[in-house]
Parts: sequence; C-alpha cells; structure tokens
Amino acid sequence: MIITGKAIPRRAVLRGVGATVALPFLDGMLPAFASQAESIARLSVVFAPNGVNVNKWTPATEGAGFQLSPTLEPLAPFRDRVVVLSGLDNSIGDPRPGEGETAPHERAGGVFLTSVHPQREGRVGISVDQIAARELGRRTQLASLELGLHSNDIAGQCEKSWSCAYIHTLSWRTPTTPLPVEYRPRAVFERLFGDNDSTDPAVRRARLQKDRSILDSVAEAAARLMRAVGPSDRARLGEYLEGMRDVERRIQRAEEQSSRELPAVDRPAGIPASFDEHATLMFDLQVLAFQTDLTRVITFMLGPEQSNRTYPEIGVPEVHHGLSHHQGDPEKLAKLAQIDTYHTKIFRYYLERLQATRDGDASLLDHLTILFGRSMSDSNEHLLQNLPILVAGGSNGRLKGGRHLRYPRGTPIANLYLTLLEDVGVPLDSFGDSTGRLEGL
Amino acid sequence: MRPIPCGIAIVSIAAMTSLAAQQQPTSAVPTPASPHRATLDRYCATCHNERLRTGGLSLDNIDVARVADSGEIWEKVIRKLRTGAMPPAGMPRPEQASLDALALYLETALDRAAAARPNPGRPSLRRLTRTEYGNAIRDLLAVEVQSESLLPADDSRFGFDNIGSMLTLSPLLAERYLAAARQVRRLTLGDPALRPTLELYDVSKDLIQEDRVGEELPFGSRGGIAVRHHFPADGEYFFTVRLQRNSREYIRGMQEPHDLDVRLDGARIGRFTIGGERRGRSSFVFSSAAMGDVAQEQYERTADATLEVRHAVAAGTHLISAAFVKIGSMPEGPLQPRMTMYDFAQYKGGEPGVARLAIGGPYNVTGVADTPSRRKVFVCRPSGRADEERCARNILSTLARRAYRRPATDEDVQTLLAFYQTGRRDGGFDAGIGLALERLLAGPEFLFRIERDPANVAPGAAYRISDVELASRLSFFLWSSIPDDELLEVAERGRLKDPAVLERQVRRMLADARASSLVTSFAAQWLNLRSLRTVTPDLERFPYFDENLREAFHTETELFFESILREDRSVLDLLRADYTFVNERLARHYGISGIYGSHFRRVRLPDSNRGGLLGHGSILTVTSHATRTSPVVRGKWVLDNILGAPPPPPLPNVPALSERDTQGKVLSMRAQMEQHRANPVCASCHRLMDPLGFALENFDGVGRWRTIDAGAPIDASGALPDGTAFRGLGGLRQVLLQKQREQFVSTVTDRLLTYALGRGVEHYDAPVIRSIMKEAAPGDYKMSSLILGVARSMPFQMRRLGES
Repeated sequence: MIITGKAIPRRAVLRGVGATVALPFLDGMLPAFASQAESIARLSVVFAPNGVNVNKWTPATEGAGFQLSPTLEPLAPFRDRVVVLSGLDNSIGDPRPGEGETAPHERAGGVFLTSVHPQREGRVGISVDQIAARELGRRTQLASLELGLHSNDIAGQCEKSWSCAYIHTLSWRTPTTPLPVEYRPRAVFERLFGDNDSTDPAVRRARLQKDRSILDSVAEAAARLMRAVGPSDRARLGEYLEGMRDVERRIQRAEEQSSRELPAVDRPAGIPASFDEHATLMFDLQVLAFQTDLTRVITFMLGPEQSNRTYPEIGVPEVHHGLSHHQGDPEKLAKLAQIDTYHTKIFRYYLERLQATRDGDASLLDHLTILFGRSMSDSNEHLLQNLPILVAGGSNGRLKGGRHLRYPRGTPIANLYLTLLEDVGVPLDSFGDSTGRLEGL
Repeated sequence: MRPIPCGIAIVSIAAMTSLAAQQQPTSAVPTPASPHRATLDRYCATCHNERLRTGGLSLDNIDVARVADSGEIWEKVIRKLRTGAMPPAGMPRPEQASLDALALYLETALDRAAAARPNPGRPSLRRLTRTEYGNAIRDLLAVEVQSESLLPADDSRFGFDNIGSMLTLSPLLAERYLAAARQVRRLTLGDPALRPTLELYDVSKDLIQEDRVGEELPFGSRGGIAVRHHFPADGEYFFTVRLQRNSREYIRGMQEPHDLDVRLDGARIGRFTIGGERRGRSSFVFSSAAMGDVAQEQYERTADATLEVRHAVAAGTHLISAAFVKIGSMPEGPLQPRMTMYDFAQYKGGEPGVARLAIGGPYNVTGVADTPSRRKVFVCRPSGRADEERCARNILSTLARRAYRRPATDEDVQTLLAFYQTGRRDGGFDAGIGLALERLLAGPEFLFRIERDPANVAPGAAYRISDVELASRLSFFLWSSIPDDELLEVAERGRLKDPAVLERQVRRMLADARASSLVTSFAAQWLNLRSLRTVTPDLERFPYFDENLREAFHTETELFFESILREDRSVLDLLRADYTFVNERLARHYGISGIYGSHFRRVRLPDSNRGGLLGHGSILTVTSHATRTSPVVRGKWVLDNILGAPPPPPLPNVPALSERDTQGKVLSMRAQMEQHRANPVCASCHRLMDPLGFALENFDGVGRWRTIDAGAPIDASGALPDGTAFRGLGGLRQVLLQKQREQFVSTVTDRLLTYALGRGVEHYDAPVIRSIMKEAAPGDYKMSSLILGVARSMPFQMRRLGES
C-alpha cells in the first residue's frame, strides 16, 4: 500500500481527554483499495429533532442566486456546497383513517428515512441509509454506523403502546430490526478501532482465530435451537445468526488488512458534558470513520424526536419539544429559530472538518453525500409536509451546490432518497412511496 | 354542566374491530341479559350506535347474551363503567346500581368464558435485556459489570424495556456480545497480560459539595466521589483527582488550604493539601475578564495537577473514594443565603469540589489474587495434569447449568470442553476455562430465554410450561436475573408447580437482596423515575434545584417503594403512607425540621400535605416543564400511571395558552388553563386531567411547597367529572382511595403483569387481573399478594403454542 501516513495524519487528535493508544487490530487506517479512493461513494445523514421554525429556515428566493435564510446563515462559507430543498413531503407517515392522532413523533421518526407507514409495534420499512449500507458496506469492516447524543433510557417518553425504537433511532436494517444508536464517544471509538487488546500482530492473529471459532460454535448452536423452537421464535434467532455472521465478515476483512501501519489516536474517555462538545466530538469520530474507510454510511442524530434538551448556553432554558409547540407565540418561535441556528452552526463544524480532511486528490467533503434534515416541518402541528431538508457535499462531482430548489406540493421525499441512492451507486426502481427521481438535483 | 354532544365525547374507545360478525339481536323473551339490553339502549346506544359510531363504538346491535363473542369490546365497556367515565357528565345517567349490575354481569360472563378456555398468550422468544445481562453476570460470576458500558440500551414499549417483541438483535449487539464476553472473562479471571487502561469517573458539575455526599464516603468528609472499581490484576494503579472549575476555568476554592483524602476500601492511601498558596495578586472572587498576576493565575488554574497517588492494589472490586476533609467550625460572619447555580458558575471562592476521579493501570503486574469471582468459577482445582480434564468438566458443567438455567447436557459440556482444550493448549488451565467462558457468554443458550414447545400439543393450544422454565420466569420477574441454585434445584425436581412450594420460593426470593430489581427496574420504569436523570429545571426559576436534590429525589422514591415491598405493605400505602425518607438536603426542601446529615432516614410526615408517591419531589419534577408546573402533565401522569386510563392525545395545533388576560394582566397557570378549557373540544379531555393536576399546584416545578403563584394564592381545588370535589393533595388522595381504589390496584396489577410477562396486557388478560385482585382484596392488597397472584396466574404459568 502506498499512501502510508498520507491518507491520515500519523496522529489524528480527537477532542476530549484520554490515553493515547496505538490502534489495535480492528483498525483500517488506510482505505482497503486506496487507489480508487476518489471514487468511493459515501452517505452521511445528519438529523435534528422537533422540526424547525419554518419561516426562518426556508430561503426567500429560489434557484442559484438564492438568499440564505437566517437559520441557514451560518452555512455562508459553504453556500456553494449546499442544495436547499423545499416542498418535499413524507405524507405516507400521516395517520390513516381510524388510526387516531396518537404518537406523532413516533410516526415522524419511523417514517423519516423509510417513507413507509409505521405500525405501532415497530414494523416499518428498510431505511434509506441501510439500503445504501447493503451495497456500500460490502467493502468495509462496518456496513454502517448509527450515532446520536441521547441515551435510550427514556422509557415513558414515548407513547405506551408504540415502539420506542421510533424515537431512539432512524435506521432500520429490516422492517422489524431497528439499529440502536450509540452516544458514547468511547464506545464509537472502540467499535471502530477495537478495545484494549494487545497490538502484537501474532497475538492479534491468535485472537481473531479464537473469535472465529466462537462465532462458528455459537452459529451452530443457534441453528440447532432454531429447529427446536416455534416458527415465530425462529426470526429472532435468525437475527442473532445474521449478526454473528456480520461480525465474522468483519473479522475476515480485518485479517485481510492486518498488515497496515498503526497510527496513534487519542481514545476519547468520558461523555462531554456540553451539547456542543459532545456533538463536535461525535462529528470528529465520523470524519475519522470515513477517512479510515471503516464505513461508508453513517446516520447521526443531534437528538431524538420529542427531545426535551434545554440550551441554556445560548439563552434557551426551555425544553426543545415544549418550544416546538410554539402555538404561534413570537417569543417561542424566536427561541426555536435560535436552536435551529445553533444546530446549523454545529453542522457547519462537520463540513469544516470534512473539507479540511484530504481524501485522495480532493477533500472528504468532495466525496460525501450528506443529507441534513428534520422529520417534521412545523412540529407545532406535527407536519410531515414541506420538510426542512438540505443536501451537502460533492457526491464525487454529482452534486452541484449553491441552489435552493422548490418542488411542487406532494412531491414525496422518497424521490430524493431514490436520487441520493443513485448518486452513491445504488440505483433502485422505487423506494417507499417514491414516484420517480427528483428532477433538477 | 352543559350536556356534551356525542361527537366530542371521550374518544379513547378507538379502532373497534370485529363488529361485522354480529349475532341476531336478542328475542323479545326476557332473559338474564334483558335488563342490561335496556340499560344499553337507553343510556349508551344514543351515541354508540351504527349510525353515529361515537368513539368508533356501536352497541345497538351487539348481542348482550353472548358476551364472550365480543370480549375486546366488552372489556372496554367495563372499564368505562368501572371508572365512572361513561355515561359522560351531562348526559342522562341511570341509577349507579344498574350500571354496577351491567358491569358485574359482563365481568362474570367474561371470567367464566376465560376459565373455560384459558388464553395465556404467547410472549416472543426473549433475549436478556441489558439489565438482566448485567445481573446474570453478577450472579453467575460474582463480578459487578457496568452493563451500560458493555451493551446498547434496549427499546421499550408498554412502559418497560423487557418487552419480548422489542428485544431485537442488531449486528451491533452481536458484536458487543463478543466483546462483552471477552471483557467479562477478563474481569472474572483477571488478566496479568492486560495493558493499562484509564477509567474516568465524573462528578456532576451541579453537585454541591459542601457536606458528605454519599453513604460510602467517610463521616467527616465533604464532597467527592466513591466508586466501586474493578481491578483486573494485582499491580500498581494510579489515582488522579481533578477539581471543579468555575465558568472561567479557575479551580474553585484555591484561596484557602484544604485537605483531600484518597481512600482504598476506607483506608487512606493519599492525603493532599491544596490551595492557599500566594504567587501574586489574585483576580476577583466572582471572576470576570480581569485577570490576576500570571503566576497566581497559573496556580489557580492548574494546582490540581499534583493530585496523583500511585498504589498497589490486589485484583478484584474495591471501593475507591476521593473527598475533602470537612472543616468542623462554622465560617465566620453572618450566614449567607445559598448561592444560586447561576452565581455559583462565576464564583471561584468557597470550597473546592471534586470534578473527576481517574484510575489508571495496572503497571508492574505481579499476578492475580484469589478473588470472589475466581472462587465462584473454580469449584475445583486439578490435583495434577491428569486430573485437569475432570476438573474442567466439573467447572464447565456447573457454569453451564447456572448460565443456561437448566440441567447441562452432554452436548453443552462437550462444546465448552472443546474451547477449554484450545485455550489450555495455548495458555494453561485458567486460559482454557477463560476461553470456554467466552463461548458460554456469547452463546444463544445463555443470551436467549428459550421455552420449548412440547411435541404433543396442537397448534394454538395452551399448555403449562416446564418447572425449569417457570423458574426462569420467576427469577427474571423478581430478580431480573438467573435463578439461584435452590430455585433451580426445586424446579429440576419438578416441585415448583406445587402451589405451596411456589409460594415459599416467591416469598424467599422477595426477601432476597436481589428483589431490589423490582425497585430499580420495575418501579423506576412504572413511575418514570428514569426521566429524573434527564430533567433540566430552569435554574433561574428554580435556583434551589441542584444535583444533590436530584439524587435525593431518586433515593427517596426508591427507599419508599422498597419499604412497601420489604415490609409487605398494602399497595394502597403507595398513595396514603404517612411517612417518607429524607436526608438533610431533602428535608430542607420539604420544610421538615430537625433532620441533619446526608444519610436517609424514615420520617413521619407532620401533615397530610405530602404523603404517598404524589408528594414525592421526583414525580412532581418529572411531571413539570423546565420553567413551570404543568397541571396537564401531572394530571395525565396520574391518569396514566395511577388510574391506568391514559387520555387521548392532544389535537394538533391547539390554540395558545395566553399568559395575560384581555386587560394585559398576568394570569396564573390555573387561570390560563381555565381559559383553555372554555373551548369545548379541549375541555372534553382536560376536564379529566386538569383537576387532578390542579390538586398538586401547591408544589412548584421541583416539588417545593408554595402557596402563591403569579402573585395569586394557589387554588388547589378540583372536581371529578361526576362532580366530586376535592382540594389539594390531601383531598385528591381521599378521592383516589375511596372512589378509585380498585382502579389503582388494577393499574398496579396491570403493570406487574406486563413486566412479568414481557408483553402488553390484552383484553383477554382482564379476567386474570380481576382474579388476582379478588384474591388480594381480603389482605388489603398486600404487595406480596399481588406479586404472588401474578406468579400463580395462568398466563405466567402457561403458554400458547404458535399457529403453524
């Protein structure tokens, strides 16, 4: 491999404190096939909860000369790398006759990346990131990463008879398998680079072999059990089997790449106390994951739907979800816009880091397709129409930025997903309730 | 009150099904059902008929003589009748006696049908929850793990995180299972080859450290932190302490010297004196942009860099603490009011606090001590090389039986033995056991709670689960963990199905320390206590809220629930108890005098203002907004968790609450809500919720007693839809205990059953709940009688075969 020490600085410094360690076995500091680095397609989803103050989000003018809205103003330095999309709907998530108006946030979370009508027990569709991961994940150790800033321990904050998974995650590997979101930087780091095992190659190889034999044995046991239990229980054991096979695939890939140079990276320790520090650290980790080509698909939640986070650091001590039910109150709307703008600033940090990171002959930003959006527009009414969405990054030259596009009412956001999937090399005939590809993007 | 038109009556009987297959209406000949038909026609079917289908419900054609045919509908009708929610206020209402007779008639018919054809439901195949995994590791291997750091959190439904259908398995989880197995193996057996690691234990920056802050810290200490840390090997470890900074990065309290002790299992291993050095002019004590001299600035920002001690520690779990020595005398000068958190953030004076304890190591490893977990695993020691395999077999079959919660088969042992042999070849006897242990912990036999269908049962039929399976159901219900040896033994001998044996085991298990999972797992989720960790009261409105209070709230409710459980009190005491648990901090918050020190003790409450759960700061805080109380949220909480009758969700885009009246005068929360309820659409639900919440208005957003809100005296009066008036928590409590007693007990039972079965409670479970309550009523609903009732119940002991 030729790009030694160039694809990534020898010592990639992460924010936060912690011991500096050499990366142990599950590393992948160099892209597996670095010669094709510039054509690697990657999908990144960044989500923020509770809709937006629509009036401050939507740019007043359209087309290439559009004027950034107050909420989007922090993105001025990246104006030409961003396409703002208006008028996209996810109406398939709206309650059907007889379903009642229950659980609007659960619905919004469930439908956001799937464009399939969510059932209360936790049955929806495969999410767009996971469709992408099926293809893009074939070459990487991890098919995808699901990250957030929230712990799942908020039982009781979702509607009782609804699956809380709709609040906690946006990613669905199958219509019934939600993927848990990790919020602890250290756990993300260890998932990427392994835990504390020895760095001695011989020890590592022996370790891999042992892991393999354990995997073989537990898979065998699971297969045996599947014959002993009823058909409805087989599916759950099947998930287990599938998960173990995934780990096996990963080990195989790690073995193929085991002779790589091992740079030193700061292992993050605790969970940063402030929103800002936590979010930026998680963005740092995402940049690192893309840079090392350990994964090509990441979904990141700045908060769960119905988030009750307060933002005293920007002068908003009220809870976010409460404010989002602004009921037209100008004061609440102003504070909501403050939060929205704060989220834009945090997102800008991500773009800055991506732009500053070399990837082959360009920057990571040039090679990424990034979706930044909310699952609702006006959370006061739980609207799934006219969603606040933007697409950023170079998409390997496929995305022309600096535009605001407005689509006719009723255009499904699934059309955008279909288009993005094609951009990252996963062309499908349809996705969710799509009616075709999005024109003009 | 104005009659409510049918269209906006309460709309929670939604999505009715199976009305199509209706029987013919009853004939004109009088039958036992006839009077009930008349009641329905006269008082219910005026709204709930085929034409209007109010609330999605039609009762004009349904056959009252064949109740069991429409169980789902009738159970909902029973609920509405028993709670007095129907007929709604303002509509014609018959004598209470005929409503009661109708409810009783329906219940009797449904109970009889259920007894004839039991339907236990079929919980999905369950994997262990994260909590259960951690507890199982504790009980299997005598090692405390932080399961939160090993595994991702579980999703919940029906209010609990142990619901079978939610316990899905992602690739991430599979990966974590392997990593966790490795980690647990290391913690259990120790690992001299382990590379040093660094663990950080943070203290919340909002914890006020002016007194002893925990039961595990020494008396006479101030602030700090105590942690149970697992040391993987005998060796040297370093302990560093970082101190609290104010908002401008000054270490707080560096003006005077202070003593800090680091202790290992209570014995001092390091003492530091920090602060009080003068290296130049210091900046203002409320820090601003103005700086002091460079050397002094440097000192006040970095003085804690010296707080490091290195010490040899034996492998195993030890208690490590770092805390200041409390200065006994009172400070000079007049007593100051407590500083607000806002001011505190700028303040660099006062006393220093601990921000973080870091533990690093091991270095210079000398071996692995004989730890409790090693003793638990190594039930034998090979007498020589030739004896190794026998001993390994012994160790592994003992582990497999406990971990798999059933007798270990030859196949189980062979599988593990193969791993032992591989490990033995590479690294000796212990390494062999270690590798087999990893296989065991990552395997489906341990991670899944398998219940096998017997061969001779027809699809869809109900059957009794095996005694061994029942043992697991019991232990996961009562302990959130695996059965112990005694329970497993009783089950293996086929004795557990004997009701007397079952009762003895349940009582034994409830008396065991492990039953505290019913507090930390069951009650904490039922009462939404977990939300307490994430609430963020606005410190400008509630300057007296801090981390100490948050913890005290949590402890109070846990100790209180635990007292009901351990003393086997009536569950009604959850509402009516005249005692609670406080420490000095909480007593001050509640206005209870004469309580000193940080430890919690039981106190008798002086008046009826604050008895029972509804007076707990924990619940009053999680049901408030960050900046104010919310009678709606509190009322909804009571309906949901105490009465089991959740109101329908709010309509989208409700009109704004106006904080001022038409003359621009600021309105109290109550007045704002009254205005809101003038809208009939909103009123239909709010007249249920709000009065319950209004009764609690004497408690502010963090549960402190108050008599004034927005300049007006608190009006804590309310009334039920049927007109029953009450005032304050005392009055509300009376009403709940008199009129809603059954409703409350039924809610507790419903919650217990959901938690025990790991599935949502369905309409066909209602007869089971009624029978558990009937059994428990003569003893005034003792906690143990409800728990026993669940353990004895048909769905807990049986299972339905899936349809193929």
